[in-house]
Amino acid sequence: MAEDIQKIRNIGISAHIDSGKTTLTERILYYTKRILAVHEVRGKDGVGATMDSMELEKERGITISSAATYCEWNNHRINIIDTPGHVDFTIEVERALRVLDGSILVLCAVGGVQSQTITVDRQVNRYRVPRIAFINKCDRAGANPQRVLDQLRSKLNHNAVLMQIPIGLEGKLSGVVDLVSMKALHFAGPYGENLTVDDIPDHLLDEALTAREHLLDVASMFSDELMEAAIEDNVSEEMIHSALRRGTLRREITPVFLGSAYKNIGVQLLLNGVTMYLPSPMEVENKAKDLNQGEKEVILSTDPLSPLVALVFKLEVTPFGQLTYLRIYQGSIKKGDEIVNTRDGKRIKVGRLARMHADKMEDIPDAGAGDIVALFGVDCFSGDTFTDGSLKYTMTSIFVPEPVISLSVSPKDNKSEIKMAKAINRFVKEDPTFRSYVDNESGEKIVSGMGELQLDIYIERMKREFGAEVETGVPQVSYREAISARAEFDYIHKKQTGGAGQYGRVAGYMEPSEDGTYEFINKIKGGVIPSDYIPAVDKGFRSCLKKGRLIGFPILGMRIVINDGQYHSVDSSELAFTQAARGAFNKAYLKAKPVVLEPIMKVSVECPSEYIGNVMSSINQRRGFIISSTEDGVFTAVDSEVPLAEMFGYATVLRSLTQGKAEFTMEFSRYSKVPESKAEELKKRFADTVKGGGR
Amino acid sequence: MDNFTEVSPLKLLEMSSRKELGRGKLGVLMARAGVGKTACLINIAFDKLFRGEKLVHISLEDTPEKVTSYYHIIFSDLVKELDIQDETESRMLFDRNRMILGYINNSFEIKRLKENLRTLVDKIEFLPDALIVDGIDFEKVGRDTFEGFIEIAADFNVEIWFSALSHRHINDVNERGIPYPCSRMDDLFGIIIQLQPTPEGIFLRLLKDHDSPVTEAACIKLDPNTFLASV
Repeated sequence: MAEDIQKIRNIGISAHIDSGKTTLTERILYYTKRILAVHEVRGKDGVGATMDSMELEKERGITISSAATYCEWNNHRINIIDTPGHVDFTIEVERALRVLDGSILVLCAVGGVQSQTITVDRQVNRYRVPRIAFINKCDRAGANPQRVLDQLRSKLNHNAVLMQIPIGLEGKLSGVVDLVSMKALHFAGPYGENLTVDDIPDHLLDEALTAREHLLDVASMFSDELMEAAIEDNVSEEMIHSALRRGTLRREITPVFLGSAYKNIGVQLLLNGVTMYLPSPMEVENKAKDLNQGEKEVILSTDPLSPLVALVFKLEVTPFGQLTYLRIYQGSIKKGDEIVNTRDGKRIKVGRLARMHADKMEDIPDAGAGDIVALFGVDCFSGDTFTDGSLKYTMTSIFVPEPVISLSVSPKDNKSEIKMAKAINRFVKEDPTFRSYVDNESGEKIVSGMGELQLDIYIERMKREFGAEVETGVPQVSYREAISARAEFDYIHKKQTGGAGQYGRVAGYMEPSEDGTYEFINKIKGGVIPSDYIPAVDKGFRSCLKKGRLIGFPILGMRIVINDGQYHSVDSSELAFTQAARGAFNKAYLKAKPVVLEPIMKVSVECPSEYIGNVMSSINQRRGFIISSTEDGVFTAVDSEVPLAEMFGYATVLRSLTQGKAEFTMEFSRYSKVPESKAEELKKRFADTVKGGGR
Repeated sequence: MDNFTEVSPLKLLEMSSRKELGRGKLGVLMARAGVGKTACLINIAFDKLFRGEKLVHISLEDTPEKVTSYYHIIFSDLVKELDIQDETESRMLFDRNRMILGYINNSFEIKRLKENLRTLVDKIEFLPDALIVDGIDFEKVGRDTFEGFIEIAADFNVEIWFSALSHRHINDVNERGIPYPCSRMDDLFGIIIQLQPTPEGIFLRLLKDHDSPVTEAACIKLDPNTFLASV
């Protein structure tokens, strides 16, 4: 069983847009006999490459969604997770990276290390994923693999080592010299499927010997055996592979392959590299959080006989129905098993289990630790963890932050209304930070999330993937109100309109709560408010928190203490006390010096160090404050706090300030008081809306 | 917030000739491993922050997150010790007056530090009054690096405090009484102080006082838990 797991490779392919990632994937699937024909990304046959299963991706020639596909090579089972090739949509990227054990970094032989290469490489680095590199498009005019190799070293800090040298370049590219076997390899047949092995051409011999010497120098740093053998000139291929594997797994070497996926050159050798140098699931440490121990981290064992722990990393609607992509970290699943969702405790029966090949599938009876599979018709959210029920483990924190930005969306026509609803339902399941509700007062559908870019992508997907034509409002920051001082209240709700009256008196005080939560403290003595009515008083106060009186946004928690009151044996009721609480709240709220709060985001920018000044200025100009900056090699990371309201359009600004070489992530940090002038502007806007009969 | 001076480890400098390190000068806090060097260094940083000064903390070992958490933990202790009422506001003010520059994986160079400080001054108008440098290996770093720091101290008109690790097994002391590893270049520093754990408690002792002689009595006792001066 362990031997089986050792032959699994879960890999991602990361690259700059247009470096040929999808063509490479297509060739990999062709050589591994998962597809019988090859279609180009922007092919004339209208079929499109197999991995890009979403319409939007097909049209743009980019990959947004992370489809998974399975193939076999040299007795190894390879799951390819198609990672997003752009930086804007973090949750997709993070989820895809989470399930990878290794990665192929694809570079263009002409363009070399470009801004997005830096970004995707840094993302892979953040998840400590070992990688090998492939210099693609060596057949193009201007191809210069040596320059790309130098850039890998200087711009990405990789200890990059060439595994091959090209035979010819640009239009004359005809094969590669393998520096391990010291043989020339050519790729014959319509799609290069027939490898022919020859001696190294004389004119390349010196170059090949020099490159091999360098390869041995680098590899021998990871093997004393190889070092000794190199001195004695007695090196075997196995020694080189084993040393390179050790260095790659430690992320201290990046073996570099080269060729042209489009011209069918070099892809098979890259596949050999995947099986030889990238880790099996057993060589990667994975951790879960144990909810029975306060989310304490526990190390999972890649053992099919241990209790099941599996992560849902992708939901997809396909012509076959809803697909749930699952990475099994521990234990195994077979058809007919009952599995339990840690989030809600729901038991689910595994009906169909499949290996996916982009939009084709293969039914399988079972799957074990280390594998990536798809389930059918399972009702769950992306990011959910499934176990066999004996453990309460989760692979992701169950904490989901409140959305900080919202946007009104409305369908342009009736058809779009249904499609929009479908799309929203789907997105809510895919992404726990994406929410949706109907604003009672305006009747508008509101979607909310954690950032502008996130919402932009969902709106785009509504249109492209679901065919929903929608109009959107201006993004709104989710402001909050909070009191800043203690205020007393003593309020009598009294109503006599014939029949039974309403009577209730509530007295006490409200004060700010330090942790921002709502707290209701009952200090009533002697039954001046009967205990039956106390929950109604609490309900009354609670209802007032939904909408503040300064700007109409929810009120962040406060402590309400009631210590006195009065009831009437006939006229008091739950309703009367709820109303009394509301009256008391309204009376005290403005005395409690309410303030307007805005979401403050923790913004982290990573960029080549030369742009640090521009980045710091841009944060400073946005009312942000810089907490720290960290230099690591040629990159610098700047951590800061910036009000969300100032972050609209920041991606574009950052791109232009750094020639697209920076990336940023943003997450909610806390609420903080807005500057007085801004508060006044918001209050005025709210007052105008109220006057106008709106919100 | 004034009562920090009463418990600050830099109270020791009241026994020195100039009562301070002074702008343009370098100072070192020496201690053996595990004695409380970082805690004491951060208390020196708080001495500056409580005076309303701005500082840049330069870390060559720990990530900024770790350094921030050191500051927050020590500040929480200070809240109790000094009975600070406006905790949230003080914390926010200190956070804003403190910048952390981290240099990981051997990324540190004097030239880069100079550029980064210039960026802070020019781009975000953060003008530091002091630098705190933690994690410099005094055994490996040569005079040229500290001469570079002297230039920085002069150019930016700041005082700079370093921490230096001394060793139990190396007892080399130069003729001026300065222990290894500072003994090789004590002429570059204005003030050298040392944390000395003894059975009677932890003491902070003045070893070098600019160009003035130092007496045995130039020493204060620190609270072993907080590394603040015992009152």
